[in-house]
Amino acid sequence: MRTLMNTLWKAVLLGCFSLPVWANEAVLEKVAIETDVKSIERGAEALMGACHSCHSMKYLHYRDLVSYGMDKQKVETWRGDQPLDGAILAQMGESDAMASFGKVPPDLSLMAKARDGGANYLYSYLLGYYLKADGMAGNHLYPETKMPDVLNVSGTTDAAQHAEIAGQARDIVSFLAWVSDPHEAERIRLGYYVIAYLLVLTTLLYLLKNQIWSRLK
Amino acid sequence: MPGRIIEWIDQRFPLTSFVKHDLTGYPTPRNLSYWWNFGFLAGFVLVLQVATGIFLAMHYKADIAQSFDSIQHIMRDVNYGWLLRYMHATGASAFFFVIFVHMARTLYYGSYRAPRELMWWTGQGLLLLLMATAFMGYLLPWGQMSFWGATVITNLFRATPFIGDQVVIWLRGDYTVGDATLTRFFSLHYLFPFIIFAAVGIHLVALHTVKSSNPSGINLADKDNIPFHPYFTIKDLYGLGIFLIVYSVFVFFMPDSLIEPANNIPANPMQTPNHIVPEWYFLPFYAILRSVPNLVGGVLAMGLSVMIFAFMPFLDRSRIPGGAHFRPIFKIQFYLFLVDMFILGYVGYVPPTPQTIVIGQIATLCYFGSFFLIPFVSKAEERWLMQRGLPPEITALIEKEAHDKEARKKTPLRRKGDIA
Repeated sequence: MRTLMNTLWKAVLLGCFSLPVWANEAVLEKVAIETDVKSIERGAEALMGACHSCHSMKYLHYRDLVSYGMDKQKVETWRGDQPLDGAILAQMGESDAMASFGKVPPDLSLMAKARDGGANYLYSYLLGYYLKADGMAGNHLYPETKMPDVLNVSGTTDAAQHAEIAGQARDIVSFLAWVSDPHEAERIRLGYYVIAYLLVLTTLLYLLKNQIWSRLK
Repeated sequence: MPGRIIEWIDQRFPLTSFVKHDLTGYPTPRNLSYWWNFGFLAGFVLVLQVATGIFLAMHYKADIAQSFDSIQHIMRDVNYGWLLRYMHATGASAFFFVIFVHMARTLYYGSYRAPRELMWWTGQGLLLLLMATAFMGYLLPWGQMSFWGATVITNLFRATPFIGDQVVIWLRGDYTVGDATLTRFFSLHYLFPFIIFAAVGIHLVALHTVKSSNPSGINLADKDNIPFHPYFTIKDLYGLGIFLIVYSVFVFFMPDSLIEPANNIPANPMQTPNHIVPEWYFLPFYAILRSVPNLVGGVLAMGLSVMIFAFMPFLDRSRIPGGAHFRPIFKIQFYLFLVDMFILGYVGYVPPTPQTIVIGQIATLCYFGSFFLIPFVSKAEERWLMQRGLPPEITALIEKEAHDKEARKKTPLRRKGDIA
């Protein structure tokens, strides 16, 4: 019985370790997200220029950008004739987008959470464009994509220029990460207090437990 | 004055005797380890889920056109809505984690054996209720995984003989998972926790009749029992502190680690996700479902894999007390079973490939095999241990247990306050 189980167990283990399960998953470039207002504002600016014409962020309102601490003048420019309390909608209508791309570009509010790999996925995707043999731009990470190479990664050969684009992509991704979870900074700050409080409480409970149990002999 | 109020109540309601019987005088084995904290923790998480859930329901909209948006409304606009939602989502995982440890402890120490079979079976019922509640709750955010998970699982009821298709429509309220499904799942998701409360009450009445088991596996003499309060109230509270620290790390620092990325995309009946995975706590059972190539067979195997725990009191034929504590073979079986569970969980998580399917089938065979072998292995192990000569203290324990059993037959179990 035991030897049988042992053999089975070995076979199973060997099988597990030799699995090429993740082999088809592309390797993502890692990106360190920025969390300060300035960088996120830069990201918003880049996004408003490159993405806003087609993509909406319907869970975010223009006012949220102002109350987060972004420059009011810039937000005014971005919103155009849209109301300050209105959701950030794409400049292009859905039917126009359908006509141009064959599908409605997805809403970006939760994009940083909606893909395996999160921010790393978005960063790798934005930088994943290359020039195909037919002279069109293709994407390594998502070959079926209908999105044009908005940052012009495929047309850049200059290293310095490429670094600049990478910085821009990083800002955009940082902004999208903030949009997907605007309370994250508050959550983490509160988390430290909660954990500190619980550590003190648990220590006291432990001491009290020892004291009460010491009555037993 | 307080004394007179209590006296007034006592003449109308057994308050003092209840507190004495079930708290300050409730005899609890003093040798309980921290593995015995998890029942209390499960009760705590239940209260936590109900408390956060009630507030979430105030802001949630059960309507396929609005539910996804209402979750984002909770996450962004409701004061501390993000906290409520992350506590509730993490709480579901915490609930299963605590229950799985609670069950593993019961299996390891053989706490399911006489006279605690009813505890084990009411616990089994609680597990089913918990699974149903969690499954229905997962549909409510109306994300891609919510929709497709509910579609896959309700579709399994097609395996019902003769009326399969009708049963599926009856469950969904429609031909596909839709608004009718969402509203009924919301309604039942709100109802089930209160049924769970009632079932926990039954579980506790049974517990307070047979009392807690303990690592030695026998009923201890009175000198080894201590009152539940204050000794175990404080021990449970200390355990709760540790639990809350781990729970808070998840809630505040990694809340998305337990939420599938695809569930941040609104449900789209026209687009199947590349890979439909259930929540982690269903993975081993899901792997068993997928390991059987035939629908009816898969559903039966999955159902049996959950229900088979109920047979443990009949399957385990060894009279040696203390579960795996004093039984080396049973201990090996226990750990192999845990390893098998993890393998099944892994197989349930990854997209199926020819290798994982074979591994899943072997692991499924091991899963059921380990249960079917228990009657023979436990008996053989008992004979082997007897032959080898048990340590004197265990022999004494067994003799005492046999004697107690005889005594119990003559005088049925009674509460202290019962009239003879």
